[in-house]
Amino acid sequence: MRRRKRMLDDLDQDIRDHIERETQDNIDRGMPPEEARYAAVRKFGNVTRVKEETREVWSFVWFEQLMQDVRYALRTLRKNPGFAGTAILTLALGIGATTAIFSVVDSVMLKPLPFPTADRLVRIGSVFVANGHGGVASYPDFLDWRARNHVFEGMAVSRTNDFTLIGPREPLHLQGAVVSAQLFSLLGVTPALGRSFLPEEDNPAAANGTDPVILSYGLWQREFGSDASVLGRTIRIGDQPFTVIGVMPQAFQFPIQADPIELWTTIGVDAAGGANAMTAQRGAHYLDVDGLLKPGITLEQAQAEMATIALTLNKEHPENKPRTVRIVPELRGLIGALRTPLLVLLGAVGFVLLIVCLNVANLLLALATGRHKEMAVRAVLGASRRRTISQLLTESVSLGLLGGGLGLALALASLRLLVRLIPMDVPRLTAVGLDARLLTFSILLSLLAGMLFGLAPAMQASRISLTDSLKESGHGPGEGKERSRLRDALVVCEVSLAVVLLVGAGLLIQSFLHLTRVDPGFDPHHVLTFQLDSPAGLQDSRGPAFFREVVTRLRALPGVSSASAVASLPLTGDNIASSIEIEGEPTPMGSRPTADFNAVEPNYFRALGTALLAGRDFTERDDSKSTPVVIVNRTLARRFFPNQNPLGKHVRTGIGNGYGPGESPMREIVGVINDVKQSGLGADAAPEVYAPLAQSPFGTMLIVVRTANDPRSIVDAARLQVASLDKNTPIYHVETLDQYFAQSVSEPRFITLLLSGFAGLALLLASLGIYGVISYIVVQRTREIGIRMALGAEAGEVVLSVLRRGLLLAAIGATIGLAGAFGLVHLLPGLLYGVRATDPMTLAAAPLVLLMVAAIASYIPARRAARVDPMIALRYE
Amino acid sequence: MSTKEQRDRIELLQGTLDLLILRTLLLGPAHGHAIAKAIEFKSDDVLQVEQGSLYPALHRLIKRGWISAEEGTSENNRRAKFYRLTPKGRRQLALETNKWDKLAGAIARILQPAEQEGES
Repeated sequence: MRRRKRMLDDLDQDIRDHIERETQDNIDRGMPPEEARYAAVRKFGNVTRVKEETREVWSFVWFEQLMQDVRYALRTLRKNPGFAGTAILTLALGIGATTAIFSVVDSVMLKPLPFPTADRLVRIGSVFVANGHGGVASYPDFLDWRARNHVFEGMAVSRTNDFTLIGPREPLHLQGAVVSAQLFSLLGVTPALGRSFLPEEDNPAAANGTDPVILSYGLWQREFGSDASVLGRTIRIGDQPFTVIGVMPQAFQFPIQADPIELWTTIGVDAAGGANAMTAQRGAHYLDVDGLLKPGITLEQAQAEMATIALTLNKEHPENKPRTVRIVPELRGLIGALRTPLLVLLGAVGFVLLIVCLNVANLLLALATGRHKEMAVRAVLGASRRRTISQLLTESVSLGLLGGGLGLALALASLRLLVRLIPMDVPRLTAVGLDARLLTFSILLSLLAGMLFGLAPAMQASRISLTDSLKESGHGPGEGKERSRLRDALVVCEVSLAVVLLVGAGLLIQSFLHLTRVDPGFDPHHVLTFQLDSPAGLQDSRGPAFFREVVTRLRALPGVSSASAVASLPLTGDNIASSIEIEGEPTPMGSRPTADFNAVEPNYFRALGTALLAGRDFTERDDSKSTPVVIVNRTLARRFFPNQNPLGKHVRTGIGNGYGPGESPMREIVGVINDVKQSGLGADAAPEVYAPLAQSPFGTMLIVVRTANDPRSIVDAARLQVASLDKNTPIYHVETLDQYFAQSVSEPRFITLLLSGFAGLALLLASLGIYGVISYIVVQRTREIGIRMALGAEAGEVVLSVLRRGLLLAAIGATIGLAGAFGLVHLLPGLLYGVRATDPMTLAAAPLVLLMVAAIASYIPARRAARVDPMIALRYE
Repeated sequence: MSTKEQRDRIELLQGTLDLLILRTLLLGPAHGHAIAKAIEFKSDDVLQVEQGSLYPALHRLIKRGWISAEEGTSENNRRAKFYRLTPKGRRQLALETNKWDKLAGAIARILQPAEQEGES
């Protein structure tokens, strides 16, 4: 920089010296002094230009030119407010939508997990060899995995659990987690206060000891007033005493999910109960397992070793169905099935942005027509082609940045609405918002978009033949040949992209309609549900009696037509899979078929509105002393008792609670009910077995209350009834079945809504593109049309000839788009229900819709063409 | 295309001037005017470059490190800026001369048959 200044400071003096020397030479040769000086100056050339060029050698020419170009670009845009406004607005829509979707995708599935060890954390799933289903592991399997592997630094289990904190005020329902003591050290996180769990705390507490608990920062603040003396204090959770040993840092969450986790305790609580404990059963698959890879070990190496261990375990325990291990990066495991819809949305919005770019490119081409002379003059004055292109690109990039700025504002404004559309169970959404990553993304996107839509028009505009354009008046017929071909191509691209989006949206809309028309097997209206823990703790014989009392009291409330209780509600997918054995078909444990197991109180099917197809409902006499009975669903009856009457037949379920250790008894089928969609509207019904709660106690039940009017109106009364039975038992998860219904379609609704919006936008933009091109053609052909009309052509013929051009472009685009759609729809099947990805109706409808819109978009300028007054048209030049 | 040809021509001229400056400075340091004179004299006045265009070229060569500039006094005891070939510039000159010879040779080979045809 200093060298540059010194060199340039001397330049004036150098040039003066030079000319002086040359003058002296000339005088020496005999010229008169005046002439000698004149000759010297002439020989030197243009002093100003020499200085300019020398300065350029040292300056950041590109930067100075850039600033100059930007100033010029902004001036050009100000001079064409209509163009600039349209371009900036469409760009803002495109970049805004893309930025908004990206912010969600980034926040949910791209940002690294907030743990120091995040890059080595993996989710280790235990899945059936037969179908790859499953994911949760049993504790004995986990212990063997952990002991036998050489690839993991450590492994930990976790599961979420509902807890009731009995505090000084109202009992508080909390979502917590039961974890391995080692978990926090695997995550690389230490408590903000107190200590972490000790390895020996994975065992149940000693006879008169207490289990340890670690609180979340939020819970510590809210319920314990940020009091550090809480450490060592004994608190009551449910009916158990726990000792507070630590408080986690403020932002800490694990498992990461939409609802916050408020406390952690160790797997020791599951280990209580000796041989009957959940942790003692190799068949009880209910735990998530996370592992920390040793440094340098790849996922594949870990996968290979764990698969071998799983194979050995299968051999050692032939009574269990063969399982294997599936390892995925932790974040991938967390996002799971959300990946596809999010990526599809990102792709779709990318298409919209592409269409926007094509549209703006088209506008730029139209603008360039008017600037033809400007370009020619630039060229004549010595602007190189590269220089002209860089000027034009500066214009388009400025446009991109202006549109991007507005787009970012739009994105941020609409983000809250977008987040509200997203299904509630999507994790990591709280972090959605403006941050450095999003800002960088939107700036890069704007620059990229500017380059993208600016490059072709700039190349086009700068490639001019001087003689032609100076001769031309600006819109002669020959000039636009190449340019209009480029515009046609852009419109064809727009149309084809729009068709792809239309096909996608069409498929999703159909699939969504199918889904909402599915018969769920029950009547979701006018039903209130809430969750309740039996105060006596897990699986105590007093539990069923408590729930029965609650149900009886609720049934007596005014406006309640029926009430009951169930272990897992429809549509939630919270099913308990159990092996079953059919009467007369003895099968070894490992190869028994599976069915969903559920426990209910009498009248459950009536409260749910599910039809009893045969036999009887449970009664209050079906208790632990009477014959073990079950009710099965239609799918089970058909699959295992084809062409037989299932009533009176017997099945044995793998879940044997209520009957102590050992194999549970054969249970008599006393009824058959209609299929209920347990795992979601899109899932086929699985075989199901319902047992009476009294013969199969559960510690946590969902109360189901059918009301005559608004189910919400009885919430307070229900709360009061429960509190009067046990003041330390809160009711929670208070929701109507309609809400469950809405939630179960919230993900398809979300993606369908957004994709349809994008398709609509694409359609609008593509029609604008067609409109623009046809209008341009009409203006270009004004003279020709005038002559034709003067020679007696009918207005109808003129309209038709213009219309034909628009439809031709649309048809070419639609064909290409259809081919593209064919290639892309295979990404959708996971999201489709009741409609094939290659649904002929949709594939036919999308291009038709587009052709219709194209017809309208070209009819408007076509009609204008027909109204051309021949006299004016001929005088036009 | 006209613009493309124009650009190539400018580059060729630029490179040639650079080469001539380097060659001149091989004989020893010189000030600007002396370099211009030397080029004109050596080429029997065939190459009549605008003397001014020498300066951007000199600065370009300084920036690339091929020549250096230093203060000195000229024949008649006047203050002047002298330009001197650097070792890096010397290597560059050898490279450029070689390239130029090849180019000149190639063009000569192309042009020769045309002359013969013209004669016959």
